[in-house]
Amino acid sequence: MFLNLRNITKRFGSVTAVQNVNLEINEAEFVCFLGPSGCGKTTLLRNIAGLETLDEGEVLLRGESLAGVPARLRNFGVVFQSYSLFPNMTVAKNVAYGLECHRWKRDAIEQRVHEMLTLVHLNDQARKYPHQLSGGQQQRVAVARALAPQPAVLLLDEPLSALDAKVREDLRAEMRDLQTTLGITTIMVTHDQDEAMEMADRIVVMNRGVIEQVGRAAELYNHPANRFVAEFIGRMNVLHLAAGADGKPSLAGTTLHAENISTDGPWVVGVRPEHIQLVRDCGDSANLITGTIERGVFLGNVTRITLNLDGQKLVVEVQGELQIPPRDVPLTVRIPPDAVKPLGRAEI
Amino acid sequence: MTAAAIPWRIWRVDRDRLIAATFATIIAVPLIIFVLVPLASILKKSFITPEGIGLGNYARYFAEPKFLEIVGNSFKVSISATAVTIVLAYGFAYAMHRSMLPYKNVFRIIAVIPLFAPSLVQALGLLFLLGRNGAINRTLDLGVEIYGFWGIVLSDVLYSFPHAYLILSAALAVADARHYESARMLGATRARIFCTVTLPSTKYGLMSAIFVVFTIVITDFGNPMVIGGDYNVLATEIYNQVSGQGNFRMGAVIGMILLIPAAIAVAVEKLVARRQYSVISEQSQPLAVRRSPRFDMLMFTYVAIVCAAILLVIGLVVFASFVQLWPYNLSLSLRHYYFDVQNGVRPLWTSIWVSLMAASIGIVFVISGAYVIHKFSNRITRFLYFLSILPAAVPGMVLGLGYILAFNDPSNPVYLIYGGMLIIAICNVYHYHAQGFLLATTSVKQISGTFDEASACLGAGFLRTMWKITLPIIWPSIISVGVFFFMRSMVTLSAVIFLITPSTQLAAVSVLLLDDSGNQNQAAAFSVCIMAVVAATLIVFHSLLRLCGVKNISLIR
Repeated sequence: MFLNLRNITKRFGSVTAVQNVNLEINEAEFVCFLGPSGCGKTTLLRNIAGLETLDEGEVLLRGESLAGVPARLRNFGVVFQSYSLFPNMTVAKNVAYGLECHRWKRDAIEQRVHEMLTLVHLNDQARKYPHQLSGGQQQRVAVARALAPQPAVLLLDEPLSALDAKVREDLRAEMRDLQTTLGITTIMVTHDQDEAMEMADRIVVMNRGVIEQVGRAAELYNHPANRFVAEFIGRMNVLHLAAGADGKPSLAGTTLHAENISTDGPWVVGVRPEHIQLVRDCGDSANLITGTIERGVFLGNVTRITLNLDGQKLVVEVQGELQIPPRDVPLTVRIPPDAVKPLGRAEI
Repeated sequence: MTAAAIPWRIWRVDRDRLIAATFATIIAVPLIIFVLVPLASILKKSFITPEGIGLGNYARYFAEPKFLEIVGNSFKVSISATAVTIVLAYGFAYAMHRSMLPYKNVFRIIAVIPLFAPSLVQALGLLFLLGRNGAINRTLDLGVEIYGFWGIVLSDVLYSFPHAYLILSAALAVADARHYESARMLGATRARIFCTVTLPSTKYGLMSAIFVVFTIVITDFGNPMVIGGDYNVLATEIYNQVSGQGNFRMGAVIGMILLIPAAIAVAVEKLVARRQYSVISEQSQPLAVRRSPRFDMLMFTYVAIVCAAILLVIGLVVFASFVQLWPYNLSLSLRHYYFDVQNGVRPLWTSIWVSLMAASIGIVFVISGAYVIHKFSNRITRFLYFLSILPAAVPGMVLGLGYILAFNDPSNPVYLIYGGMLIIAICNVYHYHAQGFLLATTSVKQISGTFDEASACLGAGFLRTMWKITLPIIWPSIISVGVFFFMRSMVTLSAVIFLITPSTQLAAVSVLLLDDSGNQNQAAAFSVCIMAVVAATLIVFHSLLRLCGVKNISLIR
């Protein structure tokens, strides 16, 4: 295994920021730590970088422990959210800095700087100072600077979150291409699920210092391990099912057939809004649920309708534009049995 | 990663820790020797009586009515001068930041001119104006008696005005426009907005200014010496007792008394400053001051009057230095600049040397102290932080007395430099350590912590980061710290008065001695030289910073 995190725990006073994290990362893999703010993802990254000392556990690179090796000897490229380009140096000097620290020869440095700036399409900006560049350009310089000393691992701490939406989207693709071309093992911290899904080979969903689930984007979306992952990745209706007269799970008085659901309730299940179908003519198919319309909005590619089912909310998303019926009109929808994901027992 | 590489790595790790520990020691040792030890000596001395250790000294002096009167005088003067200064300076700062009065740049400079001169220059100027032979009494024959309480209060108001103005100016410079707009939308008048928005949002600055001014006044020594007459205060009494009568015991007791109000002031200020949050948040909108002809005119008149008063007093000193014999013969002459009495012009050079030494020592110790304390947070650096700001609570006279008690002793290693210029320079550095240190800390804090981390991740060690990243970014602040120490060392009187010898006499002390021996005109000339050196230094470094494109650094603190 290329990079191995074993039983990592980090505390700040009485607060446990990262708790017993285990993770294996392959060479050339792009992994995203995804989670809400305060979930410990940045702390975990800083521990890997050696910017914090961990309280328990160890980080292994190619099987060798990095315990006691300070950040400056790990040769991990780090890109910070705030760019942190040195304001007193030109772009070229910034990129050369790490090479000077590693005692590269002068002409080798020159060549490498040129190479790196070409890679991020900024060769014409080499003599400028950071404050003369746009945010996106600065972040590309930061990436070039981090990659220049040929680091073993590239660590990105929310690298795009300080940028405008449009620049952010362009840079996502650019950075992912760069990573694939160079084949460098990369860990990125983000709180943006779109960013994680677009860029990462694998996503590590974190919450309150622990890993909730690790998997490819599709795995997390289709088979969330728990309610937290289900709600964090995409939209999810979380429904509480009561046991009906026959002991089977029921929603708003209707028995709900579902796959993979345990026999005893009460249950909590998740249903993606786009998996729910509007029913035009009420045939005798199963899982037909009727609720009253609370709100309907047109969002361009989809129309989103919120239904009230005996006090529970059910969000339904339908492709394209739809004539939205007025408030309080009853509407019947069908929940396909395979769309119902069990999210654990109700008491959780 | 080979096995052989590991010992080298551990050595490298330890090297950075070692460097940090070395830096911490380098700043800790002098702080202990030059701040803690002198204070401990005074404390000890004040408790040692002929009958043994006890409160005997305190009991004895507090039983003397004359002594109690002096304590009372000190508090009366300090409270009055503080009240007047704060009101004047608040109004001045308010006018400068909240009105559109013209010529702000000129007024801003005039307001801080008293910082360029030793404290006794204000008293000297007041005497030229209101003294027995002053301009007023000679032309109008009003019989104004300025010696004593009013003289001290007036000259100390002038002296402490710029200190208060700088603090209040910083407090009034920032404002959240949203609060003012809300208040206006709700129909509040200007007076009401002032009471409900402006005052509360500047209360911390106000508190800090009050304490700073009070401490300055109660420990000021130059003005009461010149204009106090028979009105004795603690600061002059400590000088008379120690220098005049060699009564160190009473000096130590007065020193302890002077420490108390200053220490309380500093402690309260720190406590209050800790709660100072959220006045300005990231969403704050800067306040755009609107033109209002009548209000602006009113403010202009006020500011102009205050500036006229400052200029009048300083201007009289300058003028008196260029006339044959103020006030009898007003024909212009340069004869007071021959400096043919006492040590001639040498004290001025001594002062410049001492100030340059203080500036260099101050830069090295204060900047590395701020850097190490900011970068490594642990119990030791927290103690160093405390030691670094402790001098804010130590009046100069007390520190100087502590130096005599601690170091005027051949068995103490510091005795080697005792009596020389170095000890004076060191005394100045530690006398003004707190302010210089806070100045440096602010600038060290301004460099994003991620620069250090980015540098470390790229493979740089402590020294390379310091040399390549930190210093190139903060050099303007380093200059401002140096200029600060230079300026204060040029004009300070209180701490160094106990440390000078005939061969290390300083310019500010010369002014005092010349005045004391009746050579007011020469004293004025010497003061002008001090002010000229300080002003020239400021102009040179200000231009240097501008040439290098640095705009946001203020050299006047």
